[in-house]
Amino acid sequence: MYYLGVDLGSLSCDAVLLGGDEGILASSVVPTGARNQEAVARAIDELLKAASITEDQIRATVSTGYGRDRVEQRLAAVTEITCHARGIRSLFGGTEVLIDIGGQDSKAVRLDTDGQVSDFAMNDKCAAGTGRFLEAMARALQVDIEELSDLDIGASGGVTLSSMCTVFAESEVVSLIADGVAVNEIVSGLNRAIASRIVALVRRIAPATDGLSIAMSGGVAHNHGVVRALSQAFGTTLLVPPRPDTVGALGAALIAREKDNRGD
Amino acid sequence: MLRYFERLASRLEAKITKTPDMPNARRKFALEIAKLGIRLYSGKHRVAWCGVVAPFDMLSAMNVTSCFVEFVGAMLAATGAVGTFLEESEHGGFAADTCGFHRAVIGAAMKGLMPLPDLMIATTCPCTGGLAAMENLGRMFGKELFVLDVPTSDTPESVHYLANQYRDMFRFISSRTGETLDEDKLREAMVKSNRARELMVEVYQLAQNVPSPASGQSLANFGIVMALFLGTDAGIEIAQAYKDEFELMVQNGQSGVPAEKIRLLWLQNRIQFKNPLIKMLEQEYQASIVIDELNDITWEAIDPTDPFTGIAKRTITNPLNGEINQRLDHVRRLSKAYKIDGAVNLCHWGCRQGTGARGLIQAGLKELEIPVVNLEVDCVDTRNFAEGQLRTRLEAFMEMLGTNQSLRRT
Repeated sequence: MYYLGVDLGSLSCDAVLLGGDEGILASSVVPTGARNQEAVARAIDELLKAASITEDQIRATVSTGYGRDRVEQRLAAVTEITCHARGIRSLFGGTEVLIDIGGQDSKAVRLDTDGQVSDFAMNDKCAAGTGRFLEAMARALQVDIEELSDLDIGASGGVTLSSMCTVFAESEVVSLIADGVAVNEIVSGLNRAIASRIVALVRRIAPATDGLSIAMSGGVAHNHGVVRALSQAFGTTLLVPPRPDTVGALGAALIAREKDNRGD
Repeated sequence: MLRYFERLASRLEAKITKTPDMPNARRKFALEIAKLGIRLYSGKHRVAWCGVVAPFDMLSAMNVTSCFVEFVGAMLAATGAVGTFLEESEHGGFAADTCGFHRAVIGAAMKGLMPLPDLMIATTCPCTGGLAAMENLGRMFGKELFVLDVPTSDTPESVHYLANQYRDMFRFISSRTGETLDEDKLREAMVKSNRARELMVEVYQLAQNVPSPASGQSLANFGIVMALFLGTDAGIEIAQAYKDEFELMVQNGQSGVPAEKIRLLWLQNRIQFKNPLIKMLEQEYQASIVIDELNDITWEAIDPTDPFTGIAKRTITNPLNGEINQRLDHVRRLSKAYKIDGAVNLCHWGCRQGTGARGLIQAGLKELEIPVVNLEVDCVDTRNFAEGQLRTRLEAFMEMLGTNQSLRRT
């Protein structure tokens, strides 16, 4: 008996396979690209191969992410807010605040003692500080997105970016490079600017975070520099799972299993 | 616009005629809106463009067809043609991050789609943006603006101050139109306002039932637009139709949203253009918007022998006037009366009045353990409608309420 969670996001399509009562059997992350259905098929195909099972052995599928209603295999579609909360609680049981930064939006989620979502906030109007923002900055710096992760190391923290608009920030980064500012200082400035926005988002759902257990999920959690900047801003070490981009899909798979057990 | 309103009126009349035994409340309401549109645009009536809290019943007693300018923005949004007018105002230098209602109106005036008014009566409440839009329009139309300065505190001095301004307003109207104030007609208008008020109180009380006869659309824009029909027979007929319809539904145990599960309070304005969000709430989550913040009677019946004082008090005690605590108390009272499970706080882009209070409203409702979801959206500007993001917020909110539902209704 297998359960599938599919998180169809704007940048990547993530899938997680669970067994009847075991932990994660397999997971996959593929770029979403322009064709959603193809990305879903590829992500599932990779899973099936990794677990050596066939699709008809999957008992229930729950989809999440911005494209959740486009996953044809779904038993139900559940928002990424609920799924990330469910997923992170299965990994870090005491999580009280979750920060999820994905491809095009960022979310702060407050969890109650039972692990249920008690409040949440999402970025307003623009997608500054999300995965797509970081991609644009990596392009401006002429580095790979993965490389960006540790480029802040050794920075003094003296550079501050004045704009978080992707277009303006990109041109500001280009100007800083032209002025001879060290790349690590620019990247550190970017990370702190993202952290500042996220802190403001978290304050909306948790005005005081001292002593709270804060975890992070979503693709941007792969970026160590952003996690460092956030940890510094909150004065605590953020909990980050080894595969932060699959937390939503994990939550979806857990919900699929629960629904099946309840006979929904 | 005249043709649009004529076609709308004709369609609605046909539908009402087809089912004369039904209360047809929403249709009757929409029909009166269409008729108002016809009067505004026909060129046959004396027209006043006004601020939101102008005394429309008083103006009606002076044979003036009056309307707040935001109505035009809402109607353009409803037709789906608002983009052109928003662009026009932006090309004309009106800042793109100001209120969409006002940008649309300015654009409509620039494109000649606003009838030239006989009078312009602005109000300092509920927002300074509205006053600025009226000043812009006044200059465009070459019309003098009469400004009603609404004090923020409910004191006898404030009421006296505003009541005197209404007297001045009548003198202003008389001097511009030659129409003299008929005191009998004014008294009659107040009696009609009071009757509509009584019926609306009953409508709102009926909407408090569990399950509620109100659905997500049945009372959309009701309170704010009904102000335009106060003092007239149409206002009484609309309110009566709603009362009859809701009464019947309550008697039959019928709810506005079938199998109502979640009861919502909608804060601030509705999104004025077609969108799938309300339908999604109703069909996928059985969530019903049982009350809007703008749908309430917060004023006492007016003494027909002293209308200026009564109307001044009505305006000053509007929950959107003055300190935020007044608004917060009102929202809390509605939440309790309607047994609300959660509140949707529409944060209209460019509305400093509404969005400025976002945190305070959220904190105030949290004290009552009522969760709030904020929707950052422009009620008028379809070009800024991020459906996916808004759906995610609302759906996550529904999932959260579904899990944590405290069942205040019991």
